[in-house]
Amino acid sequence: MPAHSSDLSSDVLAGEWPSTHRIAEAVLAIWPEHERYIRKSLAGRDAAMMRTTETLAEAVLLLVSDRLDAIAAHYRWTCDRLREEELFFHREGRYRLSTFAEADAEVYSDAAYMEKYMDGLLLSQVLWFNHAASCHFFLTELPALLQPGGSLLEIGPGHGLMMSLALRDFGLSSANAWDLSEVSLDQTRAALERLGHHGCHFAVQNVMDVPADTPPADLVVLSEVLEHLEDPKSVMRKLHAQVRPETGRIFINVPINSPSPDHLYLMRTPDDARALLNDTGFEILKDGFFATQGTALERALRNKISVSACMIARPV
Amino acid sequence: MTREAIFNDLNEIFADVLDLGDLSLTEATIADDVEEWDSLSHIRLVVSIEQHYGFKFTTAEIEALKSVGDLVDCIQKKTG
Repeated sequence: MPAHSSDLSSDVLAGEWPSTHRIAEAVLAIWPEHERYIRKSLAGRDAAMMRTTETLAEAVLLLVSDRLDAIAAHYRWTCDRLREEELFFHREGRYRLSTFAEADAEVYSDAAYMEKYMDGLLLSQVLWFNHAASCHFFLTELPALLQPGGSLLEIGPGHGLMMSLALRDFGLSSANAWDLSEVSLDQTRAALERLGHHGCHFAVQNVMDVPADTPPADLVVLSEVLEHLEDPKSVMRKLHAQVRPETGRIFINVPINSPSPDHLYLMRTPDDARALLNDTGFEILKDGFFATQGTALERALRNKISVSACMIARPV
Repeated sequence: MTREAIFNDLNEIFADVLDLGDLSLTEATIADDVEEWDSLSHIRLVVSIEQHYGFKFTTAEIEALKSVGDLVDCIQKKTG
C-alpha cells in the first residue's frame, strides 16, 4: 500500500473490492486531486457493476505486476494529454487529428508515448465509469445472444481484457485476435498468457484485405477501435463477411464526443454510433450508452461529455 | 469591466454549463464547493468563458485558476 492514505481507505471499497481499492490508492498517491473524480466514478456503480470492476481490477493487477506505481504515473500523464484534447475539442468543435498518418506520426510511431498512453488507458478500464460500464454490458448482455461453443474474433484486442472476459464467461471453442501491429499482438499474447488463457490465435491482418476463404466467427468484437479509423463504415462493410450469417453476433464499443490524441472519427450522437451498424448491413439487437462518471445521457450529450456506445448486432 | 459585472456573467455561465439553477458564487468559491465543478466541467467552463468574452486563456492561466476570484482577476486583466 502506498504511503499516501486518502479517505478512500475508510471506505467499503477497501474491504469488499480490494483490487479496485489498491489501484485507486496507487493513483491517489501521486495525484491526490483526482479523488473527487474517482469517488464520483465509483459512486454510480451498483453491486453487480462493482463485481465487474473488481474482476477488471484483478486482471489489471496481474498485468501490471510490480509496476503499479509507475503505471499510475502514466495514468496521470494520459489524463493530462486527454485534457489538452478536451480543450481543443470544446474550443473548435472537432477532433484535432483527422488522418491515420497524423495519428501515426504523433502517437503510434512514438514507442515511449505509446507505452505511457497504453498504461494510462489500462487503469482507465477500472477507474472510468464509462469504461467499466462497457465491460459490464459486454459481460451481462452478450451471453443470452450467443450460441454456445462458438468462435471469437477480436480486432484490435489491445490489453486483452475483453478477450479474457469472453474466454472466462462465454463458453467459446476458439479465440482469434487480429491487429495491424505485430508489436500490439505480442503484447496481447503476453497479457492473455499472464491472465491464464492459452491456445489463442494471433494474426497480423488488415480487415480490408482478408483472404476469401477465412471462415466467419460466431462473435466478432471491436472495442474502442473504429474511432481510430478515417472511414470505419468501409471496415464494417468488409467485416460483414466475417460474422457468421444468422446466428453470428458483432459487439462494437465506440465513444461519442470523446477527444483523444489518436481519435479521428467523431460521433456526436447515439444515432451516429448506431449508423456504423445500421448503414453497413447489420441489425442492432441491443445497445447501451454510458457517459463519463455516470452522467445522465441527455445531459452528457447536451454538454458534449464523452459517452461510450456499446452495441450488439447481427448481420442481415 | 467591473468585478460586479464579471460576477454576474460568471453566475450565468456557471449555471448554464453546470446545469445549476441556483448558484451564488463568491470570490472564495472553489471547485470543492460546487459538486458539479470537476476537472471535466472545468474545461467546459473555461471554453464558455472564452467564447463569452472573445479571448483565449493560456495553459498556464487555466492551471492557475483555482477560485472564482482567480477567474475574475484573469478576466479583468484580459479584457483590460
